[in-house]
Amino acid sequence: MLEINNLSISYGAHLALDGAALFAAQGETVAILGANGAGKSSLLKSLTGMVAPQEGSSAKLFGEELVGRPAHEIVERGVIAVPEGRGVFGEMSVEENLLLGANPLRARKGEQARRDEVFDLFPRLAERKSQLVRTMSGGEQQMVAIGRALMSRPDLLLLDEPSLGLAPIVIGQLFDALAQIKSQGLTILIVEQNVRASLQLADRGYLIEAGRITGSGTAEDLKSDDAVQHAFLGGASAQGAS
Amino acid sequence: MLLTTLMIGLVLGGTYALVALGLSMQYGIARIMNLAHGEFMIAAAFCAYVLFNGAGLPPLVTLLIALPLGYGLSWLVYSVMMHPLVKRAPNRGQLEADSILATFGLLFILQGIMLLVFGSDFTSYSYLNHPINLWGTNIAANRLVAFIVSLTLGLGLYVLITRTRWGATLRAVALSPASAPLVGIQVDKVARQAFAIGGSLAAGGGVLVSMFVTFSAAGGVVFTMKALIVVIMGGTGNLMGAIIAGLALGIIETFVTSYIDPGLSLASVYILFIIVLLWRPQGLFGTARS
Ligand SMILES: Nc1ncnc2c1ncn2[C@@H]1O[C@H](COP(=O)(O)OP(=O)(O)OP(=O)(O)O)[C@@H](O)[C@H]1O
Ligand SMILES: [Mg+2]
Repeated sequence: MLEINNLSISYGAHLALDGAALFAAQGETVAILGANGAGKSSLLKSLTGMVAPQEGSSAKLFGEELVGRPAHEIVERGVIAVPEGRGVFGEMSVEENLLLGANPLRARKGEQARRDEVFDLFPRLAERKSQLVRTMSGGEQQMVAIGRALMSRPDLLLLDEPSLGLAPIVIGQLFDALAQIKSQGLTILIVEQNVRASLQLADRGYLIEAGRITGSGTAEDLKSDDAVQHAFLGGASAQGAS
Repeated sequence: MLLTTLMIGLVLGGTYALVALGLSMQYGIARIMNLAHGEFMIAAAFCAYVLFNGAGLPPLVTLLIALPLGYGLSWLVYSVMMHPLVKRAPNRGQLEADSILATFGLLFILQGIMLLVFGSDFTSYSYLNHPINLWGTNIAANRLVAFIVSLTLGLGLYVLITRTRWGATLRAVALSPASAPLVGIQVDKVARQAFAIGGSLAAGGGVLVSMFVTFSAAGGVVFTMKALIVVIMGGTGNLMGAIIAGLALGIIETFVTSYIDPGLSLASVYILFIIVLLWRPQGLFGTARS
């Protein structure tokens, strides 16, 4: 359903992403792994129209080009992002954040039912409907961000480091919720520092190093891959030695 | 006497509130400090005057024309003058500085045209100028009508902004412009709408004020300043605060005029402004927001 080809992004002279190619099938969860500054966030931002990629870049959703479209049209086509830092409306209530999540026209049908689903997924939000999001804990704010994204009736959910800054137990709950979202058939592209948890959730993954995709494979393969082991999981041998 | 003064003040304050709401929409959402706001008002006041004297059109009918016309003209001003500044500005501070300079220029252009056409004399006309007895005090019908219409428009807008999804998109742009595109909000379109609504309220306020106040081509600046004072007193971005502060300003001004000296009314307004600025810069009702 998502096909990215030759996607390049530069900030001035700095090439942040160099001819990336990747795809996601319907219902698949795909993890993107890479060190700080590898270009993961840039990749997601170019998909949502927040950053303009270079000439010749292509990202097709259901065969239709996303590159070059303004951000609001991309949301209207079913791509929704939970950015790094969440991007919630802090001065507004939980309920208003969800209301705004359903702002795209595509989201109006079945809005009430989807709100109920979000409250089922995150019962905490149902208890805190009228709380100002700014005053909530990091984990709760991440629930708002994801709940708000789901309200847009997306076909593709982009997650940029959802576990950033959360306590281990909260990360566990977060990934449980993501597994539930995945089981309902939503296609997910997830960028994570928490490689173990994201490969647990994902079906497949890609490795990005300094703006280039240097590897890919099923989540099972990547978990045992040497490069991944060394770069992110501390390495089997290193773990054994310590 | 006390009740009469209070009511006259409240009525005057109703139109202040309306005009200040307009400025608040433009500043809070579109991020443009429109120094020509008062000129829009005076232009609408002259329209009402010309149509009433020339064609016998009642100001309440002119109001129905002025609201959409103010919207359309402000939309045009935004597209031609403001949009290039918005696109160019690297940050909010730069946009504020640029827009103040640009609208300062607009102020003199509009004022110059009005001086040319209408001269610098004070103007007024007589419409619905018979007294109505309310709780034992007499108040001119035109003031009462202006008050009711102002408050209806102001509260109507307040309800739309706070209770509807459309209003939430406006508030989202005011509060978190960087996050708004994430849910498909077109920030530029919303800013243009807000600026146009602001101009529409200025035009409406101008027509309403013209029904009971004498005005002149050079008088816009004072209205802009008062609107600015009301916005700051109410707390920037706080619409209900602006409504209450507008009413309060009208009452204070009228009390000073009646009980102390008419010449001091403007001075009292500024003294109040300075006190608020020093003592509660976030406004009387504004919650301090980072
Ligand atoms: N707006 C920008 N202007 C200039 N350079 C940028 C900009 N955004 C990102 N970059 C640069 O592009 C490169 C890739 O950044 P990006 O944010 O995509 O990395 P990332 O993989 O998400 O890193 P992290 O894991 O730290 O979030 C970095 O070198 C970064 O400094
Ligand atoms: Mg990043």
